[in-house]
Amino acid sequence: MAKGTNDAQLLVQSLRKAYAATPTSLKIIDLYVVYAVATALIQVAYMAMVGSFPFNSFLSGVLSCVGTAVLAVCLRIQVNKDNKEFKDLPPERAFADFVLCNLVLHLVIMNFLG
Amino acid sequence: MATSKVEGSSSLRHAFGGVLSVFILFLIGVVAFSIRLFSVIKYESVIHEFDPYFNYRVTQFLSKNGIYDFWNWFDDRTWYPLGRVIGGTVYPGLTLTAGTMWKLANSLNIPLSVETVCVFTAPIFSAFAAWATYLLTKEVKGPGAGITAAAILAMVPSYISRSVAGSYDNEAVAIFALIFTFYLYIKTLNTGSLFYATLNSLAYFYMVCSWGGYTFIINLIPMHVLLCIVTGRYSSRLYIAYAPLVVLGTLLAALVPVVGFNAVMTSEHFGSFLVFIIIHVVALVYYIKGILTPRLFKVATTLVLTVGIAVCAVVVAILVALVASSPTKGWSGRSLSLLDPTYASKYIPIIASVSEHQPPTWPSYFMDINVLAFLVPAGIVACFLPLSDASSFAVLYLVTSVYFSGVMVRLMLVLAPAACIMSGIALSEAFGVLTRSMKFHITKYFECSHTEAPAKLGESTSTESSAPLENMTKSDTTEKPEVARKEKVARRKQKKEKELTENAHVKPVSAKKERRPLVLPLEASIVSVFLLIVLGGLYVLHCVWAAAEAYSAPSIVLTSHSHDGLHVFDDFREAYAWLRHNTEVDDKVASWWDYGYQTTAMANRTVIVDNNTWNNTHIATVGTAMSSPEKAAWEIFNSLDVKYVLVVFGGLVGYPSDDINKFLWMVRIGGGVFPHIKEADYLKDGQYRVDAQATHTMLNCLMYKLSYYRFVETDGKGFDRVRRYEIGKKHFKLTHFEEVFTTHHWMVRIYKLKPQKNRIRGKSRKSKLGSKSTSSKSGGMTHKNPWN
Repeated sequence: MAKGTNDAQLLVQSLRKAYAATPTSLKIIDLYVVYAVATALIQVAYMAMVGSFPFNSFLSGVLSCVGTAVLAVCLRIQVNKDNKEFKDLPPERAFADFVLCNLVLHLVIMNFLG
Repeated sequence: MATSKVEGSSSLRHAFGGVLSVFILFLIGVVAFSIRLFSVIKYESVIHEFDPYFNYRVTQFLSKNGIYDFWNWFDDRTWYPLGRVIGGTVYPGLTLTAGTMWKLANSLNIPLSVETVCVFTAPIFSAFAAWATYLLTKEVKGPGAGITAAAILAMVPSYISRSVAGSYDNEAVAIFALIFTFYLYIKTLNTGSLFYATLNSLAYFYMVCSWGGYTFIINLIPMHVLLCIVTGRYSSRLYIAYAPLVVLGTLLAALVPVVGFNAVMTSEHFGSFLVFIIIHVVALVYYIKGILTPRLFKVATTLVLTVGIAVCAVVVAILVALVASSPTKGWSGRSLSLLDPTYASKYIPIIASVSEHQPPTWPSYFMDINVLAFLVPAGIVACFLPLSDASSFAVLYLVTSVYFSGVMVRLMLVLAPAACIMSGIALSEAFGVLTRSMKFHITKYFECSHTEAPAKLGESTSTESSAPLENMTKSDTTEKPEVARKEKVARRKQKKEKELTENAHVKPVSAKKERRPLVLPLEASIVSVFLLIVLGGLYVLHCVWAAAEAYSAPSIVLTSHSHDGLHVFDDFREAYAWLRHNTEVDDKVASWWDYGYQTTAMANRTVIVDNNTWNNTHIATVGTAMSSPEKAAWEIFNSLDVKYVLVVFGGLVGYPSDDINKFLWMVRIGGGVFPHIKEADYLKDGQYRVDAQATHTMLNCLMYKLSYYRFVETDGKGFDRVRRYEIGKKHFKLTHFEEVFTTHHWMVRIYKLKPQKNRIRGKSRKSKLGSKSTSSKSGGMTHKNPWN
């Protein structure tokens, strides 16, 4: 039992140490992802309290949060220097793709919001 | 100097190859367009079948009234008195595409009519589909395979059958959208670019707009992602290809009114959400694995598993309870009938009655995809050498589409692109091996120096063929299963090819580690190339024959050849034109649902039921009316405000798809809702017949009477050319209906409901007075008849 908790503590410590080593730009993107997911969870909790009418607004709200989170994760994958597959992709191009995809996403959201 | 000269000549060759392939692709587009024009040449530029007439009517409305009125259109001229919300129940992709093309042409001052644009939409989009196949196969295997696959798709009969000029149906644009969406998915998977992921979602949106078959995409792509994860091919490109597609795709699918909230609530989409969650878990696992040491990773996994499994079990239990509470487990009737082929025949007779929903027979495979049927296994083998994400997707697409084509003959259309891609890969690889052998032997013949030959060949062989070369010579461990697989496949092919594959594997077994080029003897290569070209020629011949003879019938105009020339049967349009010119604008016409779309489009009259078949009870009402005796039928039709009844009768000319042949379906569907209609009443000893041995109920039902009224006057004996016997009841009069029009060949017969008499005679005065009594109709009629 003690070994279990000891292991868990060791695990959390090594995770924290490894994560502290990531560059700041990636940490900012991770913060954005956490923020988007938190917003989505808040919306779901609100829907559970007051009901799901109008459903299309709820869907567009939640999916916009999830969508930006997913796109931010894709941006992080492409910008991460440790990723060998994307080493010849300039980060500006990755960011431009991210902006374009977000534009399309938000255009659809605006249309669906009702 | 020598290297730059070699480079210059190779770049010149590449440039020449590029121009040549563009020219070939242009020619492929021309072939795809022209092979579909047989019906326009043999008949006229007219819209075919039934469903296209509805799409044509909707496009006419769109072009006349603009998009806002179209989006909010409530159609009151069909499904009287219920009406139909067109904006919310139609897949708008096809009509919007054709409407845009019409508007564009007219704005450029090219005065095309809406009908012309509708007729030629399908051939244009089949050319686009051939180009999309080139792009997709290029991503899977290479440009050579791409061009071969595009050429094959341009002509494959299965696709021609649903996209001839005049077949203005959803599949015309949907197949192009399907292939294009798959191409963009594979492109995203290969490059990992978010730009292509965005384009992929937009192409998926176009597909959702166009066809209900989009559920195939949203289930196939998650299956492929799962396959990649399970076989250990997870990469960040897979995440970029899949995750944005799910989010954007679901949103875009929910934008289309037909789909609406079904995009998140029906079981057809749950697969994609499940795999969305799975891919996030896998991504997280790989990320943590990357930053932890192996020991700590093991600790992490045990911790997560103990906690995670408990949570998962709870969530899954809730989900299963939710889904199981609905009677169809959340699936729609059509999808369920695909998964369980016996479902429709047990529960939904309307779906079971459509002829295109029946399973196909074996010969229809050979008819529809011809030579491809035995090139496909070779293609599957070629996809495994080497296996990449894209080629595993192609194999998965083929396997699932083969299963679905076995369930419903209409879905052979989805099999066609998969079969073309596989055959293109197989043919291209075969040509690659054979031409390489020929080149090797010919250069060796001209070189005449042994030591230099192998080294020179190592440089001069093209780059795309040297890679599989080295793969085959270096890997010894994979020889045995390859030989076994190849021999198993070869048993189904011709004898010649079996010798070839055996020859191909004699060499590598003897070669150890040296880079020996894998070649076949020269004579065998030349003969094989010649035979493959003959195979291609036979395929082209079959496709042209199928397009010209089998799939070009517009089915609104029939022709037959007899000794005194060509007979044209234009009865349908004759009847609709009569309705259009001789009835009031607000008159309602009742017929079986097959003819609803054509009646509203060509005759411009309100109908009771049409091909949309969304309301089973309404159709059952019409079916009951057709199966009832005259008075009961009159009552039903009168309650629906019907003025005219239309039946299709083929007995005089031998047209087999008439209403008498469809009558049992009317009984079944009617009996499904109104229990007093029993199918057994209409069958004699389990057999369906309308001659003298037919049952009393059959001989007195409305359909029999309306079809055979005065039929005995044509030849004196009442010989029905379709059923091939004389009819049972020959001389009778109609009491509640009067005949107003019968077309030239008696194919369409229109009757009017007689208005009710003002004065009804009492019970005591019956037909004993005899003046207007109907003869030979008495049978079992015991209740009073107020019409005498």
